[in-house]
Amino acid sequence: MAVDVNKVYQRVLAIANKEQRGYITPQEFNILANQSQLDIFDQYFYDLGQFLRVHGNNTTFADAVEILKEKISTFEKYNATIGSGVTLPTDLYRLNCVRLNGVEAELISLKDFYRIQNSYLLSPRDEYPIYIRTEGTIKVYGHTSSTNHALSQKTSNVACDYIKKPSLVNWTYNVVLNNAIYNASASDVQHFEVHESEESNLVYTILKLAGMAIKDPSVYQYGAGEEIKDIQQEKQ
Amino acid sequence: MAQISQTQASYYGASSGHGAYQFTSLRDIINAFLVIYVGEDKLISKISKTDVRFHAQRALQELSFDTLKSVKSLELEVPATLQMSLPQDYVNYVKITRTDSSGIERVLYPAINTSNPTAPLQTGAIGDEGFIDAGSDGTIDLQSESDTWTSFKGQTSSNVDEDAYNFDTDLFDLFLGQRYGINPANAQINGTFYIDELNGKIHFGSSIAGKTVTVKYISDSLGTDAESRVHKFAEEAMYKHIAYAVLANRANMPEYVVQRLRKEKKAATRQAKLRLSNIKLEEISQILRGKSKQIKH
Repeated sequence: MAVDVNKVYQRVLAIANKEQRGYITPQEFNILANQSQLDIFDQYFYDLGQFLRVHGNNTTFADAVEILKEKISTFEKYNATIGSGVTLPTDLYRLNCVRLNGVEAELISLKDFYRIQNSYLLSPRDEYPIYIRTEGTIKVYGHTSSTNHALSQKTSNVACDYIKKPSLVNWTYNVVLNNAIYNASASDVQHFEVHESEESNLVYTILKLAGMAIKDPSVYQYGAGEEIKDIQQEKQ
Repeated sequence: MAQISQTQASYYGASSGHGAYQFTSLRDIINAFLVIYVGEDKLISKISKTDVRFHAQRALQELSFDTLKSVKSLELEVPATLQMSLPQDYVNYVKITRTDSSGIERVLYPAINTSNPTAPLQTGAIGDEGFIDAGSDGTIDLQSESDTWTSFKGQTSSNVDEDAYNFDTDLFDLFLGQRYGINPANAQINGTFYIDELNGKIHFGSSIAGKTVTVKYISDSLGTDAESRVHKFAEEAMYKHIAYAVLANRANMPEYVVQRLRKEKKAATRQAKLRLSNIKLEEISQILRGKSKQIKH
C-alpha cells in the first residue's frame, strides 16, 4: 500500500528537467518529499471533518468519508502499550482512544477534572476511567478499590489506539561516476506511506515545492495547477 | 444473535447468578447508547461518555423510585435502645413492619405527632439556658435523646394482646359513645416508629422492644455495581430517558425534537411500569372470584 519513492522521484525529475529547467538533488527531493507527504497526510483530517458534514452514500469505495478513513487507516495503530501509564508512543501524531484494562477512558479537561472528582455520580471508576493530557503525557484515573472509591492514578494495563506520524521518506542511492544511482536494497530506504491513490498528488506537491527551490515559476505553476484541479475533482 | 453464552450445565450448576438474564447492566446500556444513538447522521452527533454516564445514572435513580421493582428489606431485632440505623443504601421507606408469632407482618405507623428534637444539656453556666460545654471546644453538649422522644417511647399500650380479636373490658363501658372519632391510625397495637433523618436513625416505641421488625425501603440502584442493572422491561425506558436528558440540555436543539423525545420517554416509562406491575390474568381472575364473599378482612 505504499507509494514507491523511486517512482515519484523519477516522475518529478522527468517533469522538472524538461527543457533543462533544473535538477533536483536526492537530498532536496528527500526534504521536499517529506514535506509533501506531511501536507497530504495532515489534510486528511480536515477533509474528513468537512466531508462528515455532508451526506454520504452507501458505497464503501465511492463515499468520500470511507475513502478518507481508508487512507488514514494505514497510519492507525491499535492497542499500543503506554509505558508506566503515562508515556505516549514516540511516533504519535493524533491520539484516538485510551483504554484501561480494555475499557475506554474518556479525555477530561483539566477544568472538569477537579470537579468530577467531587461528584458522587461522575467520579471515575475502573469501569469508567478518565484521562487527562498534560505536558506531552497522559494520566489515567480509576478508583482505588471496590470498597474505596477515591481517585487513583493507574500506571499499568493502559493502552491506546493512535494515528502515527508518517515515517521519513528516504530515497537511498550510491554515487557512481558522480551520478546518484537509486539503491533499492539499502536498509534505510523508506517509501511513502500515504495511500497509493496519492501518487499523483505527491508528484504535483513536490513539483510545486521544487519550483520554488529551483526558482522556476513555471514548475511551481504546473504543480500548483494540477494540485488544484485534483482537489476540485475530489471535493466537488 | 444469541445472547446466552453460558452452557445450561454451568448455569444450573452455579451457586449464584441465577435469573440474571432478565437484567441488563448499566454499563451495557451506556455502551449501547453511545454506539447506537451517537454518531454522524444521528440525532446526537457527539457527546462525552461522562455526560451519558451521568444521565444514565439519573435515569436509573428515577426509575428505581417508582417504576422498577427495587424494594429492599432488612429484618432485625429491635435492641434495648429502641433505635436502629437506617440501612446503608436507604433513600426512603416503603413500610416498617413488626413480625408477629405467626410470621404475619404488622405495619408500624409513623409517630407523626412527636419527634426527637435536638436537645442540649441544660445544667451548666452558658447563657440564660444554662448550656454545657464540657469539652471546652465551643460546642454545647447534647442529650443522647430528647425528653420528647423519651416520654413518647415510654408509653405502653393499654392492650398488647395481639390475638385478642374481640377485645373488651368493663372499663370501656365508662367511655360509651366516646370512642367515636378515634384516629384509626392510632387504634392499633402494632407499634410506632419515628425516623430521625438528621442522625440516620429509626426510633421505635417501647411496645416493640425485642421484637423482630422489617424495614422495607427503596434505594436508587446505584449502591453497588451488582445492583446497577435494569430489568429488560425497562431497558427502552432507560434509552429514552438518556436521549431526552441529553437533547433537552443541548443548545439550539429544536423544541419539537425535545418534545417528541419527552413523549417517547413518558410512553416508554409508562409501558415499563405496566409490564413490571406483573399483572397476570389468572391471578386477577382468582381475586375477582372472591367478590361475592360477604365479609372480607
